[in-house]
Amino acid sequence: MQTGQPIVAMLALVVLGAVVCLALRRPRHILRATVIVSALELGLAAYLWIAVLADGHVTAAEGWFYVDPFSAFHLVVLSLVFLLCSVFAGIYFADEAGEHVFSPTVARRFGALWLGSLAAMTLVLVSNNIGIMWVGMEATTLLSAFLISLYRSRASLEAMWKYLLICSVGIAFAFIGTIFAAASIQSGSDVQAEALFWTRLAAPDAHLDPTLIKFAFLFILVGYGTKAGLAPIHSWLPDAHSQAPAPVSAMFSGFLLNTALYCIMRFVPPVRNTLGSGFADGLLVFFGALSILVAAGFIVFQRDAKRFLAYSSVEHLGIITLGFGLGPLGTFAALFHTLNHSLSKSLAFFAVGRLGQRFGTHDMGILSGALRGDRLWGLALLGSVLSLIGAAPFAIFMSEYQLLRAAVGTEAWVVLVLFLAAASVVFISALRHLIDMAFGDAKSPLIAMRQRLPGFLIVMPALGILLFLGLWLPPWLTEAIGRAASVVGVRS
Amino acid sequence: MPASLAVIHALGLLTCFALLGTSRIGACIRWLSLQGILFSLVPVVFHDDGLGLRVMLLAGGNIVLKGVLFPAVLLHLRARTNYHREVEPFVGFVASILFGVVALAVSLGLAVKLHPALSHTPFVMLEAAIFLVAIGLFLIVSRRNALMQVLGYLVIENGIFVFAVITVVETPLLVELGILLDAFVAVFVMGIAVFHITLEFGTADVDQLTTLRG
Repeated sequence: MQTGQPIVAMLALVVLGAVVCLALRRPRHILRATVIVSALELGLAAYLWIAVLADGHVTAAEGWFYVDPFSAFHLVVLSLVFLLCSVFAGIYFADEAGEHVFSPTVARRFGALWLGSLAAMTLVLVSNNIGIMWVGMEATTLLSAFLISLYRSRASLEAMWKYLLICSVGIAFAFIGTIFAAASIQSGSDVQAEALFWTRLAAPDAHLDPTLIKFAFLFILVGYGTKAGLAPIHSWLPDAHSQAPAPVSAMFSGFLLNTALYCIMRFVPPVRNTLGSGFADGLLVFFGALSILVAAGFIVFQRDAKRFLAYSSVEHLGIITLGFGLGPLGTFAALFHTLNHSLSKSLAFFAVGRLGQRFGTHDMGILSGALRGDRLWGLALLGSVLSLIGAAPFAIFMSEYQLLRAAVGTEAWVVLVLFLAAASVVFISALRHLIDMAFGDAKSPLIAMRQRLPGFLIVMPALGILLFLGLWLPPWLTEAIGRAASVVGVRS
Repeated sequence: MPASLAVIHALGLLTCFALLGTSRIGACIRWLSLQGILFSLVPVVFHDDGLGLRVMLLAGGNIVLKGVLFPAVLLHLRARTNYHREVEPFVGFVASILFGVVALAVSLGLAVKLHPALSHTPFVMLEAAIFLVAIGLFLIVSRRNALMQVLGYLVIENGIFVFAVITVVETPLLVELGILLDAFVAVFVMGIAVFHITLEFGTADVDQLTTLRG
């Protein structure tokens, strides 16, 4: 077994980075610092991933930190999304104008909260103790709330208040679930100190109390589900996403939602071991399918591009949840979809954010002719939204296809039909907007802005990866995702 | 020991009904402070096998936070957000109390169902925990003032505290401290949020927060 120093290093590095951001004076330096820290995090996460794939798992701090293929995969996606978002933040905030001035005070607040959120999410992913995992999740809410209202406009304050209150209550419910889970292990167990350890909870011989673990999962699903944006408890999500600055929205959709879903999935193996797979899978499929349907319904009526992307996140998180409920093949598809969605959605928010700055609006009726007006970000918008609605040959097409195969394999016919119907609705209504936004005639003159090199450096690789993964899934990645899936996808 | 738990239970329920029926925010904050102190005593009474340092720390920390510090922060905020001193309910006080009665009956029913699985927990506290969560949720959705929503959140927090103390006998201290710290930060973050909302909107009336729809 490897030593867990990289885990501790990851946490220490971001916390240190957050403190450094508070001390720096110039906004430019702060934005650079966040990029450097995220890049180092990505390096550490990749190192951990390789170590975990070689040895099975890595632990640190006497078992309090524990990284297995499932968490290592999420860590890599998290740091990748964060790196992209940090680079984009440098481009986006440099050109903020009007009342949205990125002053040193705002920059310091942004830097500290941004890296603080990264620290909290990392803590969630590396904790073996479900209590600490909960603490990390609550910390993400508290730290990221003020990222939404970075500029303190009326609408952003409203969105922030909704987010803060709804998610705090949701997370409180998740805590009740955590207590139920801890209580379920007590009957017949004498190792009290490890009662909150996931490794203890998910052990095949854990002998959990069936009633208590059932209650636990219900509370966990509703609680963390609120944060993951699962319908019908998603109401905070479109407001928060539409009001937050674009890099923040990208980070929310790109990974914050997945962190909450990750927490739910940690509780699935113990539930399956105790109650069989029907209970947990049924609930996952139900909430997944419901989210897809509700999101599809709302997407039709959206005019604001960021709200459109927000509802698309509800849809895709629903797809991932659905996949987790469809057996081993579905779990594989769900994890592959996590990577694809995180990349596509952050890229889409970048493009909409940047074009929003140049058009001065996020209204999809006015935001038209992007390809001609701004080639790079127009292309990013076109590529990412095509990817999001599942057009071939982008990677999301492949993961959705695998998900359909999983649905056929488990004979979930109702789900299959609902999913296809909702996906078609989303495809058609999104394409209608997209054609205008990308190819239409410009309705207003664009605000001139310098094209920045980092823009190319995030758009091209991201689009490249999405295309590449849509055409060919390398065997090592298949192996890595498969190993991650087996942590939560084994049926008893 | 059951006798003292019964006293805490009875007084605790009274604070809930007081919160439902009081129209002044200042008075509500004081009821909440009393409630926080009352339920902080649960671990002391419950762990009758001796008052270890851990139990004292937990109870003491909780009393300082929920009995003194949070009310102080909230009262300070109420003073700064001078515009509305009334609770301004969407649901009237009589209806609120009626809701409390129904919630009490439902909590009893749920506690009866749950108790066999959690046989080592005192029944009255299990019921109180469920009741507190229900009342907290109700306060959040039925009160117009953002401060009252923070109060509702803290009532839920009290319920969860009781539930955690009676069900999980031995949570590691580190986890407990983390949870207390989270509650602590949550109140400050919410406090700052209420403050900014009041600055920007001139009121803490969440009914004004209606720009974002659909």
